Amino acid sequence: MSRSCPWLHRACVSEAWVFGAWLSRPWVFGAYVFGACVLGAFATGAAADPEAWKSEIPEAPSSILVRGATIWTSGPRGLLENADMLVEDGKIRRIDLGLEAPKGAQVIEAQGLHLTPGLLDAHSHIAIDGSVNETSRTLSPEVRVLDVVDSEDVAIYRQLAGGTTVSNLLHGSANAIGGQNAVIKLRWGQLPEELIFEAAPPGIKFALGENPKKSNTRRPRPNHFPTTRQGIETQLRERFLAAAEYRRRWQEYRQGTSLPGTAIPGAPKPRTDLHLEALGEILDGVRKVHAHSYRADEILMLLNLAKDHGFRIATFQHVLEGYKVADEIAAHGAGASTFSDWWTFKFEVIDAIPYNASLMHQRGVLVSLNSDSAELGRRMNLEAAKAVRYGGMSPEDALKLVTLNPARQLGIDSRVGSLEVGKDADFVLWSGPPLSTRSLCLQTWIDGRSYFDRQRDAEDRRNWEAERQALIAKVRALDSADESGGS
Amino acid sequence: MDMLRFLGGRHPYPLGNQPGGRRGTTSSRIAWRRTLGLLLVGGFLQLAPLILADERTETVALVGATVHPVSGPSLEAGVILIEGETVKGIGVDLPVPAGYRSIDLGGKHIYPAFLHPGSVLGLAEVGSVRGSVDTNENGDLHPDLRAEVAFHADSRLLAPTRSGGVLHALVVPQGGLVAGTSALMRLDGWNWQEMTVRSPVGMHIHFPTFVASGRDSFRGPAKTQEEVDEERDQALDRLRDLFAAARAYGRAQKAQEETHGKSLLPPVVADAKLEALQPVLDGSIKVFLHARERQQIEAALKFVQKQEIEEAVLVTGADAADLAPRIAKLGIAVVLNGVLRLPDRSWQPYDSSFTAAARLYEELHKAGIPLAIGDGGERFSAANARNLPFHAAMAAAHGLPREAALRSITLGPARILGVDDRLGSLEVGKEASLLITDGDPLEITTTIEQVWLAGRALDLSEDPQRRLYERYRRRPLAQPEN
Repeated sequence: MSRSCPWLHRACVSEAWVFGAWLSRPWVFGAYVFGACVLGAFATGAAADPEAWKSEIPEAPSSILVRGATIWTSGPRGLLENADMLVEDGKIRRIDLGLEAPKGAQVIEAQGLHLTPGLLDAHSHIAIDGSVNETSRTLSPEVRVLDVVDSEDVAIYRQLAGGTTVSNLLHGSANAIGGQNAVIKLRWGQLPEELIFEAAPPGIKFALGENPKKSNTRRPRPNHFPTTRQGIETQLRERFLAAAEYRRRWQEYRQGTSLPGTAIPGAPKPRTDLHLEALGEILDGVRKVHAHSYRADEILMLLNLAKDHGFRIATFQHVLEGYKVADEIAAHGAGASTFSDWWTFKFEVIDAIPYNASLMHQRGVLVSLNSDSAELGRRMNLEAAKAVRYGGMSPEDALKLVTLNPARQLGIDSRVGSLEVGKDADFVLWSGPPLSTRSLCLQTWIDGRSYFDRQRDAEDRRNWEAERQALIAKVRALDSADESGGS
Repeated sequence: MDMLRFLGGRHPYPLGNQPGGRRGTTSSRIAWRRTLGLLLVGGFLQLAPLILADERTETVALVGATVHPVSGPSLEAGVILIEGETVKGIGVDLPVPAGYRSIDLGGKHIYPAFLHPGSVLGLAEVGSVRGSVDTNENGDLHPDLRAEVAFHADSRLLAPTRSGGVLHALVVPQGGLVAGTSALMRLDGWNWQEMTVRSPVGMHIHFPTFVASGRDSFRGPAKTQEEVDEERDQALDRLRDLFAAARAYGRAQKAQEETHGKSLLPPVVADAKLEALQPVLDGSIKVFLHARERQQIEAALKFVQKQEIEEAVLVTGADAADLAPRIAKLGIAVVLNGVLRLPDRSWQPYDSSFTAAARLYEELHKAGIPLAIGDGGERFSAANARNLPFHAAMAAAHGLPREAALRSITLGPARILGVDDRLGSLEVGKEASLLITDGDPLEITTTIEQVWLAGRALDLSEDPQRRLYERYRRRPLAQPEN
């Protein structure tokens, strides 16, 4: 099935969009506040060409040597003290003690610093232009985050500043099936299509419980279906029956099966249905289901439903009562991506406990932590630290909750999630142990390119401040000229 | 006249035009008013009995831990003597008197318990279930609301909060322009009356918003700047009028008292709202000014000066850091209400919320003004009030001296709430509310092993979250077919 190019569409859609996104850049908006009229002229001239606002792609040194760091590999080699990591062409080439710097290598002296893989956030809503829920339908598997990635959301930069390099962008939880996800690398400054992590298998957001049944909306919705967990179950079941039927028709068409009840060959060509296409991909096992869920009952319900229809749930998201049915989740082979310690924000999470991650881990579930928030998403390392506090997980295992484990859940662990030879050079340099509240994220690298650098950030601030002051002075000069001219 | 709007009807005479004269003191007010006070706002400045009836007092010596009193330098291998609820002795090489039960805590650390400077703990249970939430009253002017009367003593949120080391909290009503009075609550006990440490602590005023967000919100469609301006002006007018009326009310009381009720003027009509503001006007309780954005803060500072508020506390956000010198000059204490927050504006530095505490502290510290750090205090943060120390920790990672960070959740708020004679540090004569840990409590990976509230070790296994953990940890291995 051919698909139109969302980026092309988006770039052409309106100048207002371009201006709005451009405006959301920190330095631009800051300047705007103080010098609107000056900038207005710029904007009008530039709006036709969104690429004009693309940042320079950070340079990729042909080789980088990080020297003398404490390396948290999140891989089989565990924790390495005073070790070196060599990066070439955006990939990790060697991790060892006492490596020689190749000629022309950029050397990062990291004695006393800690090096970890770039952190992954398995559940995020940043960088999505507009609303995250398609609320006009109760099920919307056909809609795609891919079409609305906002590469200029400042949240991307803020996540980078906290060491996050990959975010799984999901729809909201207003619908039992929300839509198709987009896994992005946080290549700040690049165009939307350049953010998409090409290695990531496609996924889809499901949601169970209070949100899709509309328990907490302000206005009652008497005509809404479903309004119970039973309704959600039957709604999903019905859709998978329809999807199986749809796939059978296509199969029959392709195989030239006879028309029903006749010997006449050639089943008619079914009409393409984007809704059922997406569900068909789930049945085929190519689209990963990420299911927002809280209570044990609904988790078991979905496990059974998946089993009945012959597919697997990739992850339960939030899954705050996962600890109650950890064995069942583990047996199914599903992952669990949970909050560290959130609870009681609604009725279905009154039994949430901060030991959830540790307990599920102990029972053999592949566990990750997620943010669901642009704020939490920039300190996932400290979220991981809570698994040490609650349930006594080892620090290395705790860090994996935001590195290797989410990578495995998203099917991208051959590329990211640990510092291993051959993987992408996505890494973070910390001033101290990554689970310590004292530590700061100093540098964040993706594909061997520096996307965040605390020192550079400080310089940028000084430059922008100077620019801002210059603009203010200019506006004031214009104002005083106006006043003297107008009187 | 404006005041009729909040007085809810016709007033017998315009209070604002009453003859002047200094406001009366509490003791000199006439008898009916005292009765009214008891009925309507009884419990003003009450200090609750501190001893839980069924707790046997004990004498204990905590020996060998590194003691971090906060009020002074840390003591290696320190000793803390506790009698009943109170610290009787603290030091190094302190002999343990006969009759004391000695507890060896070698290798451990002891810190004072954390004091939360503003939360809705006890007022909100399940954020999304309206029936369980008592934080926001309808209407704008509610100086007579009292937080403690709605405090749910058996709230499920309290045990995990205690496990996290937060043992006292200022519980704050949230709604409207004047939200009501807060109460300092001890987070363990049999009912709110016994758990109230001090009430009222302060009158809480929320300054109206100055800047149109330009976005639709849950409350409705986006407002234009003109609409925001108009609403804000009206709100500030209502606030000013309320204070003018309260002053007039106080003067009328005084006048009536001075003429021994023989005045020809009609008697002053009792009014609970104006009554509740009298302790604000005579300076016996503090005024908490909630203002986050720069213009709000400026309006709040102006209000303090105009209304001659004696003791004001600014409950605020990162913008306050830019106004720190002015705040310090006015001698206003600050509650930085949340560090783990996004920057307030898209163009601000990514760490502007993290660095605000350090920037504020620099100025406040020079002026000897206390700083407290909060967690936002809204309905949805109550469940994680236990994370209060991690707000302070983030501030410490971004320039706030570590001692100041610890102080901002112990002695700082104790000073701001006026209870530093009994809470906030480990000193002789203070309440023995403390934490026994295996390390720095600003580190998430540190375990809080014991929590002592007023001389008594709490049973942390009672924490319902802990109970669920233990219960499901023991679940026999299930082997579902798959």
